[in-house]
Amino acid sequence: MKLSRLVFYLFFTVVLILAVFFYRWIFSNLILAIVLSYILDPFVSWFEQRHFPRWLSVVSVYLLIAGVIAWFTSQFIPDLVAQGNNLFDLIKNGDKLTGLYIVNMPFLRGIYDFLLNLDKQIPGLNIAPQVVEILDSTNSYLASIPKLLTDNYKSILSTISLIATIPLLSFFLLKDKYKLRKAAMEFSTNRYFELCIILLRKIDDTVGTYLRAMLFEVIAVGFMASIAFSIVGVSYPILIGATAGVANVIPYFGPIVGVAMAATSILLAGGSLTTIIYAAIAMYIVQVIDNNIVYPLVVGGTISMHPLLVLLTVLAGGWYGGILWMLIAVPLVYISYSLIRVLYTNLKDFKII
Amino acid sequence: MKLYLQWIKTLLHKPNKYIALRRYSIFKELSSFELYLLNNFMHHRSFKSGELLFDKGYPLEVIYFIEKGEIEVHRNVHSQSSMKLGKNQFIGLIDMFYESTRNSQAVAQTDVVAVAISCSDFMHLLKSNPRMGTKVLTGVCKSFSSTIFHLSNPIEERDEAK
Repeated sequence: MKLSRLVFYLFFTVVLILAVFFYRWIFSNLILAIVLSYILDPFVSWFEQRHFPRWLSVVSVYLLIAGVIAWFTSQFIPDLVAQGNNLFDLIKNGDKLTGLYIVNMPFLRGIYDFLLNLDKQIPGLNIAPQVVEILDSTNSYLASIPKLLTDNYKSILSTISLIATIPLLSFFLLKDKYKLRKAAMEFSTNRYFELCIILLRKIDDTVGTYLRAMLFEVIAVGFMASIAFSIVGVSYPILIGATAGVANVIPYFGPIVGVAMAATSILLAGGSLTTIIYAAIAMYIVQVIDNNIVYPLVVGGTISMHPLLVLLTVLAGGWYGGILWMLIAVPLVYISYSLIRVLYTNLKDFKII
Repeated sequence: MKLYLQWIKTLLHKPNKYIALRRYSIFKELSSFELYLLNNFMHHRSFKSGELLFDKGYPLEVIYFIEKGEIEVHRNVHSQSSMKLGKNQFIGLIDMFYESTRNSQAVAQTDVVAVAISCSDFMHLLKSNPRMGTKVLTGVCKSFSSTIFHLSNPIEERDEAK
């Protein structure tokens, strides 16, 4: 290799490392902006096919979304906020929601009596007081959440302002999509050019299809679960239905989260075991509709990942980065796996390995 | 007033940057908007003399439209039979409809500048713009007819036909 070329590559690497260091704070925003642009791209292309300039297509899609959000806000947000506030009031009400109050709820009373009996029969076990203590400490932590929000309003505001930059970043990613793709392809040498084209297409297909399907599914399941929970008589149906929709991103375990939240809500409201069973059946029906109609229609198949691998991935995601990583771990692993498979096949086809 | 209107018109009227694509026979009939859509998926590539464009057995992913220079296409690597392609010609389009891997090897004979488009992007573009698809496929048919005519008729007969 020529010395001048070596010096150039060295210089380029140093600049790249410095750029990564300088922009490291906005990486998460950039990733979210890429996700948003993948979701919106088909709509922008639809306008573009109808002779709209690319920038005007993006603006039109943004205006349409703003309209939908405004309509949705006026229709559903007041209910959602009211339900959230009621839940917060319930959590804040520490005097009422003590450990003893919870264990004396109709459904839990039997279990608590059983534990008391167990304590009597096995001297020194003391499991019942420990359960009350755990419930007390959980309650005091939950009660501190509203205070945490008010104490950290500055960091919350800065987070909101960072989030507001995502649509802006996404605007430029959408507007200059083709320019960015061309610029990226300029970096590839002739030997790897066709391979890079294949990979770019695969990324577009896998990531784009998966993200759009996921969003559609979240909305569909959230909507169906809200209706099903309100029919069954669960308290805060919109809030719990929306959460169940988001949790549905995790295959196999998402629906359980939805049912668990509904059961907790029923218990807090003093409901019966029958209502919990009805809520579970309602969620099961939502899942049947989702798995047999919504998902196959949108994606044309399901994620071919073994349930054990899904479980391990969700657990690893949870240990690594909490709830957010639990949500994104499965799609991330699925997309990475698909790309590695395509890369390996094509490296062999192009006789590179 | 008329002069002002003319001035505004010149400001709004941008020269068509993609008109150069019309020199390829299959894009001759495309409108400037269709050329703009096509150009979005085109990539400029440069090859040094003697550099390999693709080899036999490689996945067929890209169609090359030659802007400058000359390439030599070998159907069978060991045989002497080869075909030369130059300015305003293209390679990969015919195979695209029939095979998924390259059945020939292409090497740059001189320094070559080409524009490349992915077969999948090209097909997607034609499917989502049926009018554009019809124009391109008409161009492809004309190109096929011309090739078949040249192959099936000896040079003397063609001269007589003229």
